[in-house]
Amino acid sequence: MNAATKSSLLHLSLTDAADALKDGSITAVELTTAALEAFTRVDKAINSAIWLEGAAALEAAEMLDKKRKSGATLGPLHGLPLAHKDMYYKAGKLSTCGSAIRKDFRPSYTATVMERLEDAGSVTLGGLNMAEFAQNPTGHNQHYGHCRNPWNPDYCTGGSSSGSGAAVAARLVYGALGSDTGGSIRLPAAICGVTGIKATQTRVSRHGVMPLSFSADNVGPLTQTARDAARFLGVIAGHDPKDPTSASEPVPDYEAALTGDIRGMRIGVPTNYFFDGIDPEVQAAFDTVVAVLQARGALILPVTIPHMDAVSTYGGIVSRVEGGTIHAEWMRQRPQDYAVHLSGRLYPSQGIPGTYYLEALARRGAILKAVAGAVFGVCDAFITPTLRMKVPTLLATDIDAGTPGAIETFQDVSINTRPINYLGLPSVSVPGGLDSNGLPIGFQIQGKPFAEARVLKIADAYQRDTDWHRRLPPNVS
Amino acid sequence: MQTPLREIVAVQARTWSGIEQPNEAAGIMADAMSATIEGFAALRGQLAFEDEPSSFEAALQATKEPQP
Repeated sequence: MNAATKSSLLHLSLTDAADALKDGSITAVELTTAALEAFTRVDKAINSAIWLEGAAALEAAEMLDKKRKSGATLGPLHGLPLAHKDMYYKAGKLSTCGSAIRKDFRPSYTATVMERLEDAGSVTLGGLNMAEFAQNPTGHNQHYGHCRNPWNPDYCTGGSSSGSGAAVAARLVYGALGSDTGGSIRLPAAICGVTGIKATQTRVSRHGVMPLSFSADNVGPLTQTARDAARFLGVIAGHDPKDPTSASEPVPDYEAALTGDIRGMRIGVPTNYFFDGIDPEVQAAFDTVVAVLQARGALILPVTIPHMDAVSTYGGIVSRVEGGTIHAEWMRQRPQDYAVHLSGRLYPSQGIPGTYYLEALARRGAILKAVAGAVFGVCDAFITPTLRMKVPTLLATDIDAGTPGAIETFQDVSINTRPINYLGLPSVSVPGGLDSNGLPIGFQIQGKPFAEARVLKIADAYQRDTDWHRRLPPNVS
Repeated sequence: MQTPLREIVAVQARTWSGIEQPNEAAGIMADAMSATIEGFAALRGQLAFEDEPSSFEAALQATKEPQP
């Protein structure tokens, strides 16, 4: 098999590759070899991986091929090469968390999501680049090098799951775990032109996952398509006794919900907050998204999201205080080992009163009820742009380099995603266009708590009539 | 003249947590917390006496999508 043929295997969607593996037309070793060769060929330019374990991955792939030949029952991700944000613990394996502080950290236990993914038959290639301790929305990393956007390496990948977005966009892997505390799955998904879902708060176990914010951390996949995300999420979702905060809610068959039929579905477009100061190119792309959904039979309605001042204010401090708390010891002992933008962000949390923090948490339930009542009383889901701005360059958002205005631009990147984390709603970001710089534009779909099937159904319906999710960055052959 | 916010944060961080301002960006971000204070000031009076953090998990259940 020549290099071009091998590369084209990686252009398959996750579910198509799974089907080909199942019927024996390709093998896990062929796919794993292709992925490892693609990393060697492409990753110098985008820097999406922190570490790879090729030999171990090939060994696992060989075992999976033997299993298929034996006629054993195969898992839903059988033989698929994946790599994950470098913050998912696997006993004895490196987990740098994108940091200098944990550059040699090897945990003694394994994350439940990693166990579930490998039990489902996936092959783990290694750890992907990420924002240091998952705490920036742009993908800058001073310790392992900035992750670069496959569509144009001068631009941000989005963060904090930067390597996950870049590796899926560059077709190096079929999917990757990211994490989302303020937009860290949806931002790189939107900015790199892939699909990424943050499920309902508590939907996926966080056992063995690097913590950032106890109240707002979420685990989820970045993939090419909504169908891929449905397959992936179905494997990792569900209660985990090792994470008592994980929900006991049954996990439905997400893929079965993807019928393409959204006729009569009421989809809201907010009249407040989410479009303030929006870039005209992003607005134009969003208008086209609305037209596609309308053409498929969805009913588009204006909807006012109540309490956005409270959502924005409260949502802005919860993860900062929780992150500031868990990083306090290192901020005392070795603040110089953080990048400037991160120690700069962690430090002010020491000045936020405990009463503010508890007020933000205490009001969260009442605000969710009020928002859900007002919004989901009139519509089944609502959509917004994932970012209001066009994709910024790495330089424009480089606080450590002292770029004027970088702090403000940096904070504005997550202005549409962060409120959704405070509300705890499921949200999927979907590719919906390209801007005049040739960089992707994304939109996000939100539903009621535990409505992952519905938001994925809308995303899938949209992808049946568009090809933004199938477009390749210019240098991905 | 009001005390600059970065000075207040510096005293709090040092006194309560033994943490020093690590760089100028941290000072700028401390000053920017004024927007947070204004946000909280505008929300005064809305916290109900019985509100508590566990109400969030209850709200997720109360507002969830019915299973098919």
